Amino acid sequence: MLSIHARQVLAKAVLPILILLAVGLVLLGLVRRPAVDGVRLMATDFMAPAYHGLVWPQERVKVWLMDLRGATDLAKENARLRDENRALRHWYDVAVALAAENGRLKKSLHWIPETVPQYVTGRVTRDDGGPYSRAVLLDVGSGHDVRIGDVALDAAGLLGRVTEVGPHTVRVLMINDDASRIPVTLGSSHRDAIMAGDDTASPRLIFYPQDHHPVEGERVETRGQSTMPAGLPVGTVHYSAPNRPVVVPDADLDRLDIVRVFDYGDDDSQAPDAPGRVRVKKLPQNPLTGPLPFSWLPNLPDMPGRGGQ
Amino acid sequence: MVAENSTPHLHSAVEPKQTFRRALDMAARAAMPSLFIIFSAILLSAPFGIPGQAQLQFGIAMCTVWFWAYSRPRSMPALAVFLCGLVVEIFSFGPPGTVLLSLLVIYGVAHHWRYGLSRLGFIVGWLIFSIFAVLASFFQWALVCLHAVALLSPAPGLFQAALTIGIYPSLTALFVWGRRTFANPDQA
Repeated sequence: MLSIHARQVLAKAVLPILILLAVGLVLLGLVRRPAVDGVRLMATDFMAPAYHGLVWPQERVKVWLMDLRGATDLAKENARLRDENRALRHWYDVAVALAAENGRLKKSLHWIPETVPQYVTGRVTRDDGGPYSRAVLLDVGSGHDVRIGDVALDAAGLLGRVTEVGPHTVRVLMINDDASRIPVTLGSSHRDAIMAGDDTASPRLIFYPQDHHPVEGERVETRGQSTMPAGLPVGTVHYSAPNRPVVVPDADLDRLDIVRVFDYGDDDSQAPDAPGRVRVKKLPQNPLTGPLPFSWLPNLPDMPGRGGQ
Repeated sequence: MVAENSTPHLHSAVEPKQTFRRALDMAARAAMPSLFIIFSAILLSAPFGIPGQAQLQFGIAMCTVWFWAYSRPRSMPALAVFLCGLVVEIFSFGPPGTVLLSLLVIYGVAHHWRYGLSRLGFIVGWLIFSIFAVLASFFQWALVCLHAVALLSPAPGLFQAALTIGIYPSLTALFVWGRRTFANPDQA
């Protein structure tokens, strides 16, 4: 049994010890952030079914409200849908014709078919950015094969890249996060730039060629690099201020529900060695003393370096 | 007046009989503030899509620890603050350890000044709390900048501080009522 004095000393020491532990956690977060994020991901994995249960009433209310809104304005909604359907049919015909033409051109060019990417579809479990970052957690189920660096897209365009992978859940860092840097290509000029997130709805464009500034309304696509394939739709260029081009993303970053994670793989995209790195074979001291390998050729004309053989 | 002993001490002869059920009831009432923080942290980590959800997690934890640390420290011991802070850390994705450290520091301040804070009016207490809420948000912002090796916009931190300061009066009203009723172990 501790004395009263010992208990008082212990009571006074508890808070400093706990503060020291908290400082230790802060330092651990600075040095080994993935370890801490791994624990958080495990907790989210564990809580995923509960989150579905918590959000279920909200989703139902949203569906009812949508139904109610549709029911109150049926005639107008029908007219709008008919117009939209007409426009979509036109674009469907255009797309089919273009796909056929594309197929013919590829065939005549002996185009090497691209590998079909593997993908998994998941529902956003929670928005887990916190005040300073933009990220979401996806519930992709067990047995998935998602890797760090895989590309996440919604129905309209690029959303972000996978930064952490758990047994059931993956974390996607969105393109407007402050840490996100995506290499992109400008649609009409085919110039390269970097799309840098800044925690706002529209990421900035940086490192574009100074002799060719991005044009307002220009399409922005991804540039191929390791796991990031070329040509994924990202958004359109918009000038929020003079000399400040931003990308208005195609993907709806504020209301995410169903997200697909694509694995484009990076095994086949190894670049050959640069010429400077090729090892130069040492030539023999007197290379012309032995018989030349092509001496069997009849009437070989005199060539420089043959030494008049 | 000492805030801890706000209810008059009853003579042992007239105290209710200590049964297991009463002990459980007392423990539940004493743990109410900690359970409130944990429940809020888990609930606010669900994807409701409410603006400022993450900031609200921090704000609720700060307000709860501040109020109970000076108002009734027996219901909010240092170890409970640590455990609540850990839960908030696990269910948030900010820089690790900042919420936990902020909660412990604010607990230390409120616990150390509890006699003075009990005597001060609500407005003065709120002002002192506001200063610490701003400092904690600034500390969080500084750590994020350090981790990103860049000067980020302090706007999210200011919003977090403003939200924390803004919800304090309504939460205090709830806690004052709770201190008399459902979170009062003496009423078990």
